[in-house]
Formats: sequence, structure tokens, C-alpha cells
Amino acid sequence: MRIAKDLRSESNDLRRLKQRSSFLFLLSGLLILVGVLKIIQLTVLETRDYFTESENNRIISEPIYPARGLIKLMDGQIVAENIVTQELLIKKGLVSKSIDELKNVEKYLIDQGTSLDLPLIENYKDFEKITILSDLTDLQLAKFQVNKELWPSVELNTRLRRFLPHKNLFSHVVGHLGELTKEDVVYNSEIKYHPGSYLGKVGLERRYESQMRGIRGIKKVEVDVFGNQIRELERLNPVRPLNLSLSIDLDLQMTARKELGGRKGAVIAIDPNTGFIKALVSSPDYNPNVLNKSESGLSFSLNKKIEAPFFNRVISGSYPPASTIKPFLGLLGLENSVIDQNTEIDDKGIFQINEEGRKYRGWKEEGHGKVNLHKAIVESSDVYFYELASKLTIDKISTFLSLFYFGRETGIDLENESSSILPDKSWKLGNVGEAWFVGDTINIGIGQGYITITPLQLALSVSAIATKGKIYKPKLVQLLGKEEIKPELLFEVDLRDEENWKIIEQSMISVISSWNGTAHNLYTEGGLKIAGKTGTAQIKSLVDQELTVKEEYEGIRAVEKNRDHALFVCYGPIPNPNLTVVVVVENGESGSSVAAPIAMKLIKQYQKEVVADV
Amino acid sequence: MSRRPPLDYQINDPLVGPSFSFSFFLKDVALFFSILVILGFGIFMLYSASGQSILMVSRQLVFISIGLFLMLAVAQLKPESYKNILMNSYWLGLLLLIYVLINPAKGYETSRWIDLGFFSFQPSEIIRLILPLSIVAFLFRKDIKPSLYDWIIATLAALLCFYLVYKQPDLGTAIIVFTSGLIPIFLAGIPYRIIIGYLIILASLSPYIWSNLLLEYQRQRVLTLFDPEADPLGTGWNISQSKTAIGSGGLTGKGYLSGTQSQLDFIPESHSDFIFSVIAEELGLIGLLVMFLLYGFIIWRVFRISYQAGTNFERIACSSLGFIFLLFILINVLMVIGIIPVVGVPLPLISQGGTSIIVHLLAFGVVLSMKRSV
Repeated sequence: MRIAKDLRSESNDLRRLKQRSSFLFLLSGLLILVGVLKIIQLTVLETRDYFTESENNRIISEPIYPARGLIKLMDGQIVAENIVTQELLIKKGLVSKSIDELKNVEKYLIDQGTSLDLPLIENYKDFEKITILSDLTDLQLAKFQVNKELWPSVELNTRLRRFLPHKNLFSHVVGHLGELTKEDVVYNSEIKYHPGSYLGKVGLERRYESQMRGIRGIKKVEVDVFGNQIRELERLNPVRPLNLSLSIDLDLQMTARKELGGRKGAVIAIDPNTGFIKALVSSPDYNPNVLNKSESGLSFSLNKKIEAPFFNRVISGSYPPASTIKPFLGLLGLENSVIDQNTEIDDKGIFQINEEGRKYRGWKEEGHGKVNLHKAIVESSDVYFYELASKLTIDKISTFLSLFYFGRETGIDLENESSSILPDKSWKLGNVGEAWFVGDTINIGIGQGYITITPLQLALSVSAIATKGKIYKPKLVQLLGKEEIKPELLFEVDLRDEENWKIIEQSMISVISSWNGTAHNLYTEGGLKIAGKTGTAQIKSLVDQELTVKEEYEGIRAVEKNRDHALFVCYGPIPNPNLTVVVVVENGESGSSVAAPIAMKLIKQYQKEVVADV
Repeated sequence: MSRRPPLDYQINDPLVGPSFSFSFFLKDVALFFSILVILGFGIFMLYSASGQSILMVSRQLVFISIGLFLMLAVAQLKPESYKNILMNSYWLGLLLLIYVLINPAKGYETSRWIDLGFFSFQPSEIIRLILPLSIVAFLFRKDIKPSLYDWIIATLAALLCFYLVYKQPDLGTAIIVFTSGLIPIFLAGIPYRIIIGYLIILASLSPYIWSNLLLEYQRQRVLTLFDPEADPLGTGWNISQSKTAIGSGGLTGKGYLSGTQSQLDFIPESHSDFIFSVIAEELGLIGLLVMFLLYGFIIWRVFRISYQAGTNFERIACSSLGFIFLLFILINVLMVIGIIPVVGVPLPLISQGGTSIIVHLLAFGVVLSMKRSV
């Protein structure tokens, strides 16, 4: 009886245990179901994705960047090279896991109180590497190596940086590099960059970016979680970039920069027979090394900031050509037979279209007296060219000047070239909204008014006189890799009478050689025969008819930025010119005493070098 | 107390003597060998997961030997004989938990470890098994049914352990310890009215617990439970690497010693808590299925022993241990595949770790000792 009761209670207990177990089994079953479904999802449904991901983890494709192409001069002198710096990298995927390591880097490797500034890590893929510290000093490098166990995920990498041994000297020729931006990606869509890349921003660095960059290679390596390379799987070697050799003459370039002496201005020297540029200086300039991060400090002193040190005045600065336009108008007058060599006018210092009309004053109050074309160029008579221009009409002037690349881009191998303005009737209607007046044409007669020109364009047009009509494309790069760049004839101005070139050239020679020439101060007995023309570009118009020219100038001179720009164009030596020089000194006032000596110095120096070379 | 179990034909049958045999010594041969197989499988995988470290494998083999020896020793005992010891082992567990709070091992951020010099262990790993066994022993210390007070005392005992582990602080393990305590109470037949009473108390206290007792990171961890994408603790990287390993293994795996995630150290703690990911990556879904079948077989044997056992104490103890074993497997697997947050639970009998192996084998010793010879 007792056994039976025990039996019953035992079986009751077992039944209850089984009931309650079933409940727990049900709960567990639900969890098991969730787990099994998840495992199937991982291993069956999404296994491809995870496999790819594990391969991405394991295999990293490391780009092999070829060192950027060098920029040299034709004699082998280095203009831009690459120097080695050390940097610390971390794989993006490891950042969140390695906060402590990054804190250690902060604590041991950088100054107290400063923190690492990481770039926007969202832009990176998991396997890409982020630079956390660049340009390590020797001390930092030593500390990094000694305490490696504090930052197992951080790796050391060498990085090449662009360095210009001559610092500022070539800033407006070579330009500088900068970090990749969205706009750059559009500009160079054929090159694949990864965030943080440095690429050419201006100058030759930008124009020849794709050639100087080369094509990056790739090596596939197997890595462990710390990015340690286990073995190399395959390798695609990079394609070496091309080196550039420039036509620039180092001594000429240095002299030009020195002579400008930091004043705002531009100097360009070009071989008229080939278009190769021998000197290109825009002032003020800057130190590209600072922007290339190969040197620390400021790229230019702060007080130069308002003078736009990044602005390349040679190719982008538009100035009134002023009196340097006169030889071209003279040439046009001769071509159209509006004048001949002997046509004379009486220059009384004032020009009027008719008795009641506006008075156009010449720079010389009392006038030049009886003036023919030769004298008009040599003494730079304004009145002569007022009259000539009014007879030529704007249509002819504009068409003719256009042949000499006034108002057209020259196609130099630099970025941001300005085309400047060669006005005509439709231009004025479109841009000023007014009809063309005869007065506008008269102003153009002395290179003032709407017309502007860059020093580069001016150098090209003057070269055309030197070569009797041949205009070559201006070029900086003479050797691209092994390929020799040939001179490129852009246009040949065909004159009705070839003799007219000589007439103009003679007058331009006399500008220096004649006792009455505007640049006679440069004349040396038995020296080189050089053709030149001065120019003084007015910024402020002389408006007050009552004051004399001199009196009015006094008021304007008081403010420096209102002072005239000094221009000088020249080529030589005659009869076989090998250099054209254009000098613009902003607010320099006098073409003959400020700009011309620089140009002359360059031509003379160049002759010595050429003679020495031969 | 040496009450003879009823229906014990064996003792009354003169033809079947208690002679020495495999089944006499090993109690349940099938269970014993399936345990050996899974231990062997564990060693096999540990060799791969540890980066082919002979040292780690040898250490593990030493622990397995100790564990097996203890298991077989316990298996020879009569459950009645150690019931009292089991009940009072609770105090030992309590002592360890308090000791670790007062005098934690140096070099760890939390006070979870006791360092014995040659060996350090976490008391919470021991209490996971001591607690349920002592509770069963307590509830069935007399022949009569547990009284109301018994149920409440047992619950409080579990709560105390929960609180001490939570203080380490380790909320995840505290919950697991507490659950291990609740399983035998539930299985032993705690009346539903008491359960309802507990639920009412819990419900009324929960706002207070949420705002006052939980630390900020624990609150975050509970929240991640519902939103695994949010990742305030930075454990997401571990889990995502683990998932990548499991997923990339696919159906058949990448081959033994050839798992890229495992061999190149992308899986964190690959030899201990995350060894499951290594198995999945190298042996694939098929390998996992074989492992699950083995586990399933072991659990089935445990419940078979439980249902055939002679006393309530034995039955409840056995099935509690069975559920706890299942619970640990589930928690580890669900953690590694990213369904529940990361808590420190090794994969039973496979993961590297002396305490875990020895404690689990001891538990199987208890189960084996309750096997009734048929």
C-alpha cells in the first residue's frame, strides 16, 4: 500500500517534471530555431558576401606609387624633386578597435595637449589606410620604433614629398601640390586617386599631372589583423612617370626675379624663333615647398597677401598695352597705305577730331612738332597715333591685332591663362552695352581704353616683329620624358610689303639708339643692337581739362596704387634676335627707367651665356 | 537516510551481481564516449584556433585529464552520500564570490578572477554549477515536498549570488548564474502562485532597477539587445569579424587550419569564447551540424538518465544540469553569431579554459552517478 502510494507520487513528480521540462524545451527550441536560421543565413544565403569580406580582410591591394616625375632644366639642374618623409598609418577598419593605441600615439608621440587630427574616416573603405601622423621627426621615429608594442595596429610608411630646391624662384612655373578635392576628381577623371592623395594644383604640376604621376602599380599581399604582411601574392609594377625638362634658363630666371625685387610685376623672356620660354617670373611669389608640406613655415609673408602672391601675372595679369601698341598700329598703317614713311603731322600736344571735339592730350605738353612714323615711335608721340587710329577704324585695328594674338589665348602649357580683351564694336555692345565711339578708337591708338594684354601675349606679338611674322606657341617643357618637344608655329603674319617689318624694326632700334629715343638711357656705344618700345600704362584717366598734364599727375602720384604701370618690350640682338623680353612693373611709373633696364640686362646676360655655350 | 530506492530489481536479483564491468565503472557508456568525442573534437579545433600552439593544447589536455578523473570519481559515488555536501557547497561558492569582491586578482579591470599562482579562475564559472546543485539538494533534503519557505529561501539564495556577481560588475554572467539557479527551482515544481507573486514584485520594482541599479554601460548593453546596430561598446568589430568567419565558411568550410579569419587573427579570442567561429569557418555548416548532433546526443542521454532516475533529487538535478548545459551552448552560439550581446560564456567542453572544462566534467560526474543501472 505504501509502495503503491510512493509509486503514484513518484509518477506524479515525473509527470510534472516532464511538463515543466517541455516548457523549457519549448523556450530553448525557440532560441535554437533563431540560432539555426541565423546560421543558415550566414553560411548558406549570404555566404558569398561574407566570403568576399573575408578575402578583403585577408588580401589587401597595396598601391605602389611611382615617385613623381622630376622637373629639371635642360642642363640637368633640378627644379622639383621628391624627398622622403615618414608617416604613421592605420587601417580604417581597425580604428574603432584601436582607440587605446591611438591614445598611446597621442600620449607618447605628439606634444602634450594636442590631439591627432584624423581625416574624415567615412571617406575610406575598411581596408584603406589613414594617415594619422605625418612628417615624423627623428625623435618621433625613434620613439615609435622603441615602443612598437603600444601600437601594434599602427604602421610606419614612407611618403615622398615634393621639394623645390630653389624655393620661390619657380613658384609660378612649377606650381604646387595639394590634397585631393572633389573638383580635382572631375578635372583628372582618368586617374584613380584615393582620398588623401596629393596632386598638382597649379602650374606645370597640374598641367602635366598625368604624365608626372605615372601609373600606380598594385601588389596583393596577405595580411593578418594588424596589417602585418604574411606574403606577397601578386604584383603589378607601376609605370614610371615622365620627367620634364624645361626651357627656362636658370641664370636668366634668377636675374629676372632679383631685378623685380619683390615689386608687383612680371617678366617673361622667350626665344622668338621657337617659342621656348627662357624666364618667367611673376612677383610677388610664394614658397611651394610649404604647400607641398616639404618645408614648414609660411609660403609667403603675410604683408604680401594683398598683393596676390598666387596670381601669375605673366599669364593672367591683364594690363593696358599703352605705347607698346604703337609699332603694331604703325605696321597696320603702312600695310593699309593709310600712311607711308614720310607722312607727317604737326604734333602740338593735343588731338581733336574737329574744332569743338574733345581734346586728347599727348604725354608731352608742348608736343613733338613735325612727326613722321619713325619719330612717332622713337619719341612715342601720342598725337600721331591718335590720328592714325582714328583713320584706321576699330574694325581694321581689331582684326589686325588679333593676328598678333591680342585677345587670344596663346596655349602655353600652364593653367589659368587669360585671353585679355581685344575690343571691337560687338564686344563693346555686349560687354559695356554701348555703341562704339570714335573716341574709343582714339584711346586704343595709345594702347589705353578697353584694350588689355597679358605680358605673355605681348611677348608673343613682339616676337612676331622679331621673326618677321612668325608666331610660335609659347612652351616651357622642352623635353617630356625622352620626347623632344618641337617648336610649334601658330601663325605667320603675311604682310603685303615685307619691307614694312624693317621700317618698324628700325624705329624700335632707334627707341634706344637715337638721342631722342624714349629708352636712350639704355644705349651704350658699340653695344648690342636691340629693338624696344617703352610703355606707361595709365590706371587713372586724366580728366581735368583745365590742369596741365604735369599738375594733374602730381595729385595721382600721391597714392601708390594709382601710379602708372611701367612696361617695356624688346628683342635682340639685331639682326639675329634670339630673345624677346617683356617687363611689367606695376605702379612703376616709367617704362624707360624702371622696366627697360631689367629687360636690357636679361638680353645682355643671355648673349653672354649663348656666346659662352657656343 | 539510506533509504533503499524502490523497484530496485538489481539488488534483489541474485543473477545480476555488481561485478566489475565497463558499464559499471563508466555508468553510461554512450554518454561517456560522446563526451570523449566532443572533448577530442575540442582539442582538434583548439590546435587550429590557438595558432597551432602545442603549449595551449597540452594545458588543455591536462585540464581534461583532471576533469575526467574527477568526473569518474564522482560517478562512483551514491548521490545520497554527497547530497549534504552538495547543499553546503553553496557556502563555499558564496565565500569565493565574496572573496573575489574583496580581494580580486591584480591586472584585471573587473574583480572577477581569483589568482592561485599556477592557475587563475573565475568563481562565477563555478557558481553556475554549484548554485543549481545546492538548490536541488536543499529543496529535496527531506523526503517531504518543499514548503513555501523552502521555495523562497532557494530563490533568495539565487538572488544573493546574482547580486554578488552583478557587483563584480558582470551583469551578463549574473543573469546566467541567476537563470542557472531558477532552472532547478522551476523544474522542482515551484507552485505557480509563487511564480506569479515573483512576477508582480519584479514588475513593480523594474523602473527602480532600471534607473538606479544598472550602470550606464549595462543599460546600453540591454539596449543593444534590442538594437544590435547601435554599438556603444565597440564590440561590433569582434562580432562582425566573427560573422564574417562563420559566413565565409559556407557549407563545407575552408578546410582545417585554412580559415583565413582564424589563422590571421581576425577572430578575437578565437581559442576561447569565439572558437565556434573557427569551427564554422574551417569546417563549414556540415562541421557545425556534426557538433550540434554530438551535443544533442549528450543532452538526450542526460535527460534519459534524469527520467529513469530513482529519486526526485536525482531527476531534478540531472535535468537541471541538462538544461544548464543546453543554456550555455545556446548563449555562446547566439553570442558568436551576433544575436545576443557579448558575455563571457565559453562553448562547453570545446573552448579553452581550465575552470570551464573541469566544472562541466564534474557536472557530468554528478549526472553519471545518478544513472540507474537497469
